[in-house]
Amino acid sequence: MHSSLRRSLLLLNTEFATALFAAVLLSLSASAQNLKGDEALSKVLIEGEAWQTVAEGYKFTDAACGDDAGNFYFADVAAGTSIVRIDLAGLVASVVTNTPRISGLKFGPDGRLYACTQSPKKQVVAFELPSGHMTVLAEDVQPNDLVVTRHGHVYFTETGKGQVTVITKDGQMRAAAKGILAPNGIGLSPDHGTLAVSEYTGTNVWLFRIDADGGLSAGDRNMELRTPVGTTRSEGDGMAVDSQGRYYVTSALGIQMFDSTGRLGGVIARPQAKGTVSCAFAGAGRSYLYVCSSDKVFRRKIQSH
Amino acid sequence: MNSSFNPRPRPAARHFGLRWTLSSLLLACFSLAPAISQSADDYALGPDSFPQPGVPQGAVHQTNWTSKIFPGTVRDYWVYVPQQYDGSKPAALMVFQDGRTYQDLKGQFRVPVVFDNLIHRGEMPVTIGVFINPGEVPSSQADQKARSNRSFEYDSLGGQYARFLLEELLPEVAAKYRLTADPVGRAICGISSGAICAWTVAWERPDQFSKVISHVGSFTNIRGGHACAPLIRKTERKPIRIHLQDGSNDLDNLHGSWPLANQEMAAALKFAGYDYKFEFGDGGHNGRHGGAILPEALRWLWRDYPKAKK
Repeated sequence: MHSSLRRSLLLLNTEFATALFAAVLLSLSASAQNLKGDEALSKVLIEGEAWQTVAEGYKFTDAACGDDAGNFYFADVAAGTSIVRIDLAGLVASVVTNTPRISGLKFGPDGRLYACTQSPKKQVVAFELPSGHMTVLAEDVQPNDLVVTRHGHVYFTETGKGQVTVITKDGQMRAAAKGILAPNGIGLSPDHGTLAVSEYTGTNVWLFRIDADGGLSAGDRNMELRTPVGTTRSEGDGMAVDSQGRYYVTSALGIQMFDSTGRLGGVIARPQAKGTVSCAFAGAGRSYLYVCSSDKVFRRKIQSH
Repeated sequence: MNSSFNPRPRPAARHFGLRWTLSSLLLACFSLAPAISQSADDYALGPDSFPQPGVPQGAVHQTNWTSKIFPGTVRDYWVYVPQQYDGSKPAALMVFQDGRTYQDLKGQFRVPVVFDNLIHRGEMPVTIGVFINPGEVPSSQADQKARSNRSFEYDSLGGQYARFLLEELLPEVAAKYRLTADPVGRAICGISSGAICAWTVAWERPDQFSKVISHVGSFTNIRGGHACAPLIRKTERKPIRIHLQDGSNDLDNLHGSWPLANQEMAAALKFAGYDYKFEFGDGGHNGRHGGAILPEALRWLWRDYPKAKK
């Protein structure tokens, strides 16, 4: 269709038509080449919008998390003793202090902030806000990152065990999936029916069906992460999922965006050439992708809806 | 329309919707729309795609399958059995991806009708047709959506889909009908992502399938499929015959250029000395051209069967 349009339009052969033709062709190349379901980077990146630093001076930021209002939360997994919030006005402040070191954060349907802790103990815990009261949900585990479904099931990656573990809404803990190469990042589809898990030392993001009883089924290696040339380590890490079900997976090469069926849309450049390990949507309209990148937190406006 | 061809019941309507949108945009600017949309992709079905008097009609049965090789996926499939099949000797086999589309008697391909006509005239063997939909993972809760597994099954290189066919689905069909084990009597066909899937099955298991028809095949980088042409050039030739169709107005998007990728495939097949035919028209990403030339493609594909066995 494209070249025939071009042929027919050029027949007009006037300056006025040529100018109009150029404008129409530009709009066509956007719509005709990026049809429904084709998730090119040009669909989500906004011309002129770049990474902005929103917090800095940390040892190693991680545990990116957004709330419904658009506030962003993170922690310094290497040196921190608090959960830090960046509000919609950009104000950076600790909301919970005297915390363990935290590598993963997510809100649950009960309004509590669930966390994976690294030291002094490796636990899965939940904080009440604003009191900061902490409840231990699981001990003797190796949690890295987690999600909480709207049905109340908590899933966390145990990277060293190659396992995803679930704490069901009734408080029972069990292995939900095994045999994943260093499972690290974890995410939920918008309808909370599909769980995604990234491999750190492998090349895949797995998708699972979340069964009604909290079990995981239909697991397969649905997404293939690009790796640096000459390696098979993607360093797939934390991920965010937008309202269209697109997955944004942090990795050694950058933030890899996949459509909801697992096809790679493209790789978004990291804000700096340092470990960039988790991300979440937050800010006004949850239209900013916030990323934890080593010593800093950055954000960038994305067409996330 | 999705670049990997939407297998849902209304693909033609969706495609038309896109055309209408683009045409009306142009109409608003130039009032030129009529001259544009009729200049290309005006392929029409011929008599072999319509029921003909005195031609016996085969039967089509629909059933479904729950897979372990694509864990937890469910799918419908259809089996076409020509009236000439009597079980006295093994039938030839032809497998179609996006089965609903190919078996649709009002669609762009109408394979059961085409088979009836060609089998009746002896232009292709008595053939069992197996039309398979892509899998989907059903949702576990009423307020959640099923997840399509089509891209993963079709666009991925490797042997997982071939295993699904050979270890799960075809044994179900073979339990009811005698199918030839000779790869020369076994063909596989698809459109868009279903076409690269068909090629990949033959590439992985040429001992099982030696005949392929590709319609607007996605030999592009959806999931690494742009590697097919280079692999053909640098791999000892496999005993595969392929009929390849594409059009100059096919997709050009983030995954690649379909017209260029299909020309690249044809060039690689020529370089490596394959038995291939390339029909490059001016159609878009749909089955109009492929459907119109399907009878001709089938005659070409089966032209020397069963002589080739000897």
